[in-house]
Amino acid sequence: MKPLKIAMLSLTHGHTRKYYQTLNDNPKLEWVAVYAETETVKNNFLKWGYDIPCYMDEKEMFDKHPDIEAVVMASANYIHLRQFRECAKRGIHVLSMKIPTFDMDEYAEIEELVEKSGIVCHVELEMHYNPVTTRLYEMIARNELGKISAINATNITLSPVWAFPWQGIPEQSYGKRVSLKPGDKRFRGGALSDHPHVFDMIRWLTNSEFDYVYAEAGPNIRQDIEVEDILLVNGKMKNGVSFLFDPSWSRLEERLEVPAPGWEIFPKRMEVNLAISGENGVILADCFGPNVYHNGKPNDRYTVQYTYFDEWIGMMDEFVDCVRNKKMPKINLKWHRKTIEAMNACYESISSGKPVCL
Amino acid sequence: MNQNNNTDMEKALTGLLEKYHVKPSLPFHLQMSGKVGELDMLSGYSFAEPELQENQVPLLTWRVKRKFIELKKIVEESVIEDVCLFRFCCIGNKEKWSLFSLLYREMDLFEFIGNGKIISVQGVISGNEAGNLILRLDNNALCSIEVSTQLPSGMPMIDRHEIIARRGVASDVVVDTQIPQSSIYSYTQQGEKRYTDVDMELYGFDDTRIDHIRSAFQVLKQPQLIKEWQSQHKRLVNFIYYINSTEIV
Repeated sequence: MKPLKIAMLSLTHGHTRKYYQTLNDNPKLEWVAVYAETETVKNNFLKWGYDIPCYMDEKEMFDKHPDIEAVVMASANYIHLRQFRECAKRGIHVLSMKIPTFDMDEYAEIEELVEKSGIVCHVELEMHYNPVTTRLYEMIARNELGKISAINATNITLSPVWAFPWQGIPEQSYGKRVSLKPGDKRFRGGALSDHPHVFDMIRWLTNSEFDYVYAEAGPNIRQDIEVEDILLVNGKMKNGVSFLFDPSWSRLEERLEVPAPGWEIFPKRMEVNLAISGENGVILADCFGPNVYHNGKPNDRYTVQYTYFDEWIGMMDEFVDCVRNKKMPKINLKWHRKTIEAMNACYESISSGKPVCL
Repeated sequence: MNQNNNTDMEKALTGLLEKYHVKPSLPFHLQMSGKVGELDMLSGYSFAEPELQENQVPLLTWRVKRKFIELKKIVEESVIEDVCLFRFCCIGNKEKWSLFSLLYREMDLFEFIGNGKIISVQGVISGNEAGNLILRLDNNALCSIEVSTQLPSGMPMIDRHEIIARRGVASDVVVDTQIPQSSIYSYTQQGEKRYTDVDMELYGFDDTRIDHIRSAFQVLKQPQLIKEWQSQHKRLVNFIYYINSTEIV
């Protein structure tokens, strides 16, 4: 199969650096170019030492490399629509970040652009390519737990706002400045906007859709950011499974401008754990464990060093397969729409103080 | 020692009372006796009704557990500062636990460790099997409580109590683990066995009975706790009634 000629846009998304190795190593891909939004971003990219041309102008990159077939749209949420328009116009396939947009009119326009142009749009929900969640999916599909009563999941991380400032700017993360709730000085666009995975995984694992959600934001751990960093969500799926999600930024971080060792203050910077309760028993799962530990450089702090982050390999393999063989990605815009709707419903619930039916 | 024998527990309690020169004002039982003028001291969740007789003492047994005392101290002494979020989880087996008992225990722990009063609760309940709650204290701290009774019979409780503050995190579970640790793990021809012994004076009792005896001792030593815990019992039971009555169906 001919390698897929691929570029990266913007390089401002928190997941950007996770693609570098995959784009470099995967023989199914030919990494052609990158577009960096700012000089700082460009300099950070150049430090990685990849021999890939880096442009400061998106149009210039596309014009100089008309052979680009696909992009990783590694940009802030608020410019996704513009970049989708450009890619659709040029017939360039898109690996989209996890939030194409929270604005459902924009979402509909993106869906239409993709459909009319015939490009492939694969939404980056990498947990589908994680071996632990795959095992869980199989166990549930085999009905090992019998009828499931509850699925509880965490997607707890540090906050990326110091390294990726747009994630702390409501207009750039949520798409507009909307108050979190009456009388609250904070705005939508924080931890909830960063953590769609739990909402997506429960739909996948239960093969059911959201019936209702209730969400509440706690007092911020970080008092100097404009967006929410602590929240909880509970509710029910249409098949009766109850759930509780914690998608908070509840792990404190050093305020680094570039992610690096020593970023975490709490020893473990991120977790995606699930507890599934069913008539035959209970399953507990840590999607990123077991790990190794040290208390060495740079801060001599006890630190969890992760041992697995290869989701991007399987995801990019599927993306290439979809482009080359004209297939619909498993995580496409139509599938993902209901996840975005549920997340928006959570913001509504935080604002109203009431459960929101979907 | 036959741990199932209530008499052994009452004997052990009497031993503690004698050792520490505590004289109970009334005769007592660690089970329901129904005898007028004698204290019936049982775990609070054993009483399903909010209103209790004067002699019915709902023991908040978990409040004497060392790990919860230490977590409370960590909060009260500002070892961690400005608590924002509590994450509680408690999974038991149906033989020993009900949804009612787990909710009762965890909601009380939230107030006990969080040093506040619950002002709001939103619960999602799945039959008698699982419950997921979001609660808030009057000091604005938010809390998730996840409970389930679907562990297979004979399995020990799995619980986790994590407190997240602006400065620091406290927890009764080791970082990067999913289940509580034991003191001893034994792997022999007889299979795997685990032991967690935490009380030398009551050595040989399991932790549920130790907590029962210790909390009864506490009440007999500080009789003012009877009214205090009866009042707390009423609040907790009413909260559980409220959760069940407001569930969206």
